[in-house]
Amino acid sequence: MALPALPLVQGTLDLLVLRTLASGPRHGYGIASVVRDLTAGDLSIEDAALYQALHRLDRQGLVEAEWRPSENNRRARYYTLTPAGRRRLKEETAAWRRYSRAVEAVLEGR
Amino acid sequence: MREPHHERRLFWYLGRRRRTVEAEIDEELALHLEMRARELIERGLPPEQARREARRQFGDLEGTRRYCRGLGIGATTVAFAAIHATLLRPLPYAAPERLVRIYTDAPPNRFPFSVADYLALQAQQTRFERIAGYTGRAMSFSDGVVAERLRGRVVTATYFSLLGIRPMLGRDFTESDGRPGTGPAVIVSHGFWQQRLSARADVIGESIRLDGTPHTVVGVLPPRVGPLEQGQELFVAAQWTPPRRKGPFFITVLGRLRSLDDRAAAAEELRLLNRRLFPVWQASYQDEKASWAMMDLKAHVVGDVETMSGLALASVALVWLIACANASNLLVARATSRRRELAVRAVLGASRARVTRFLLAESSLLAFGAALVGIVLAFAGIGVLRRIGSAYVPRVEELGLDGAVWWCLCGLTAASTLLFGLVPSLQASGAPVDGTLRSLGRSSTASLAVRRLRRALVATQFAIATPLLVVASLLLASLSALGQVSLGFDTRNLLTASIELPRSQYAEPGRVAVFWDEMQRRLEALPGVTGVAFADGRPPEGVDNFNNFELEAFPTSAGHSQPVTPWVSVTPEYFGLLGLRLVEGRLFDGHDGRGPNLESVIVDRAWARRFFPGGSAVGKRLHEGGCSTCPWVTVIGVVSEVKYAGLDKPDQGTVYTPMLARGVPSPLEEATSRFRYVVVRTSAEPLSLAPSIRQIVRDLDPTLPLSSVATLDDLVARSLQSPRLLSMLVGGFAAVALVLSIVGIYGVMAYYVQQHSKDISIRMALGGRAGDVLRLVLGQGMRVVAYGVAVGLLAALFLARFMASLLFGIGAHDGPTFLAVALVLLGAAAAACFLPARRAIGLAPAVLLRSE
Repeated sequence: MALPALPLVQGTLDLLVLRTLASGPRHGYGIASVVRDLTAGDLSIEDAALYQALHRLDRQGLVEAEWRPSENNRRARYYTLTPAGRRRLKEETAAWRRYSRAVEAVLEGR
Repeated sequence: MREPHHERRLFWYLGRRRRTVEAEIDEELALHLEMRARELIERGLPPEQARREARRQFGDLEGTRRYCRGLGIGATTVAFAAIHATLLRPLPYAAPERLVRIYTDAPPNRFPFSVADYLALQAQQTRFERIAGYTGRAMSFSDGVVAERLRGRVVTATYFSLLGIRPMLGRDFTESDGRPGTGPAVIVSHGFWQQRLSARADVIGESIRLDGTPHTVVGVLPPRVGPLEQGQELFVAAQWTPPRRKGPFFITVLGRLRSLDDRAAAAEELRLLNRRLFPVWQASYQDEKASWAMMDLKAHVVGDVETMSGLALASVALVWLIACANASNLLVARATSRRRELAVRAVLGASRARVTRFLLAESSLLAFGAALVGIVLAFAGIGVLRRIGSAYVPRVEELGLDGAVWWCLCGLTAASTLLFGLVPSLQASGAPVDGTLRSLGRSSTASLAVRRLRRALVATQFAIATPLLVVASLLLASLSALGQVSLGFDTRNLLTASIELPRSQYAEPGRVAVFWDEMQRRLEALPGVTGVAFADGRPPEGVDNFNNFELEAFPTSAGHSQPVTPWVSVTPEYFGLLGLRLVEGRLFDGHDGRGPNLESVIVDRAWARRFFPGGSAVGKRLHEGGCSTCPWVTVIGVVSEVKYAGLDKPDQGTVYTPMLARGVPSPLEEATSRFRYVVVRTSAEPLSLAPSIRQIVRDLDPTLPLSSVATLDDLVARSLQSPRLLSMLVGGFAAVALVLSIVGIYGVMAYYVQQHSKDISIRMALGGRAGDVLRLVLGQGMRVVAYGVAVGLLAALFLARFMASLLFGIGAHDGPTFLAVALVLLGAAAAACFLPARRAIGLAPAVLLRSE
């Protein structure tokens, strides 16, 4: 890793978690790994914050948790996106795109 | 590598306490740590360092642990605060220790006083600084637009000064307020003043209409009041005139003793005064055995909640002990696996005392953190109790974290530290240093002392869990027995409500009769209504009128009490509406109760069986209220039973008197004709008719409130609420205790197998059979459990006696329950022992021996 990992912008953690789950059920450790791999280590999610986010989303009914055997046959808690979670992901994604476009526009100076 | 996470996973399991949710979070996090560590190891980190790094990255591990233990301590604190508020703290009145309640003692009943009693006591007593009386009365208050029925009390002018309550605004009642003929005066509650009088400072002297009569507001109470005033909105000054007969009995009498030493003398004086009064009223009262007596006011206020709260607190304390034993067990295991660290410390010159101090400091840190979480939870718990507990905890509004609760919390923290810290630290620091260091490379060096200690802790857990489970099972069994009690009729599609006609507006009997007639006519015309009846009591516990009587056939001999049963006044339609079966004789018709000498009553089967077990009750005669000059009342019919005094009470027999829907009220029902329950049988969902019924009443008289609207099914459910809450509470604790104990035995046996894996595999390698190993491991574990359960059963036998009063339909020493609890515990423990045993069998001898 050449550069130290960037801290997360406030409020994006939920979005990242939801997006990661959109491709299928994962356990907490799996989510952390996927985010790290996709961003080549540029984004770091603190484990404690990740689990807090997962349980928060669970309480809000955006994800659903279920015990299943993991890839190496241990009991693990897998999270799945609920329909409400999918809706939220769509809204948040659109909001984020607009936001980043706006910031990009200013930075480009157009 | 031989499963290094084993002890740690156990640790997470041990974190299981109140809810599986917590345990699941723990397990989830533990798995995360393991996977992270494994990943780091794959990247080349040494295992030890990898685990440390995984933990570092994880963050707040200790916080999670503290959070879980905090839940246990929080529950204890809330329960203590509740019990402290109800039982221990003195009543919030001036010099509460000198306050007593005076009553007529006719075992097993304690009766209130009558006006005759009260006036005589007031005139003749010398031992009390003051006496006061009160009686509950619901009053309808109308602000001209909306009529409401509010709870209130009729109190003597001495009431507030006796308790030491001073109105916040205005004045207390004076003697003249209590003199008949003076304009009625009322003192209102703080809440009433704020909500209905707009909290104006100039309300004193204003007039409000209660039951249609103007009352002058003379005072407003302060916001905080005592338990007797709680929930009461209006206090009207009583104006009692000397009566013509001794009854009725409805006044709760309070007294303030001149001094605490006067207690015996005051009790004696009450007895003498009663004896002096007896001959005066002999024409209307013959119960010679009844006597006047007194009790501490606090005992009167707290009532039978004492047993219930005691049980709840005991459960909490027991679960806390089990949790401590588990934590202790865990720390023993942890200290054992930290032998190397401790031994190194010792080698570097730390004394034994110093190592102990170090370990104690660790556990007190844990306990302190737990206490902090406990405080937060206690605040939250008290909030919840205040909101939902008012029906069960008599002084719930006084609930709070005061000095005593803080001390309790400090004590708990200190005790927790010692209980789960001291034992293991003494044990761990006691081992000889060089021996420990030398033996570290090998696996089978668990000292005998550690094993003994851990087993003793587990046996204790089972010894504690057993009585908890027994108590919970007994409570659940009685709850289910209560749920199966039949009310005596089909409760479906029945709606009831109550209504009271104020005396001032409905002074003439004619007007009263017209109102009821009209109400019945309009209700019957309502679509969806299949029947309408009136009564002055309703099942399952809505009867206020318990009347004494004298049977013509069996006169009460001197020195004995007259029989007492519920008396319910009903309209002729009542029996058919509820579906009561006529067993013998006939039901009321339009003529009953009309003429002066045509008094007739109907009794139920239990009554007939109780007083005329051999023959027929029909045609038998009695005097109502013990009034020997009243005309005879004749029994005309016998019907099937209905529960009026509560589902848990046996059928004592009920007397039904005729209440006339049409025509003049009979002399028998004179006192009650203005208050009625209306009972409606519907063809649809009963509550859907409530608005139309309300509208009918509003059309008839807009100032009249219709109150306590409920379906019969709701009333039954409500009467089961308190036992249900208690059994849920104790059952929950028992379940936690069971889980904790099972986790405890599992931990010990898993540890045993781990420590003996070498011996076991040698045995297996030498041709030992799987059955033998299984027997060995199961035997080791089950012996510990059996000791614990045996001791626990003995304790349960002893403890269950104290809760006999809370049980219904099951004995406190019910054999099958005890047996079932023992079997469940043994079975669950066997299952918990079986897992490590199976692992022992599965050990691959060759691999294991090679690794040594």
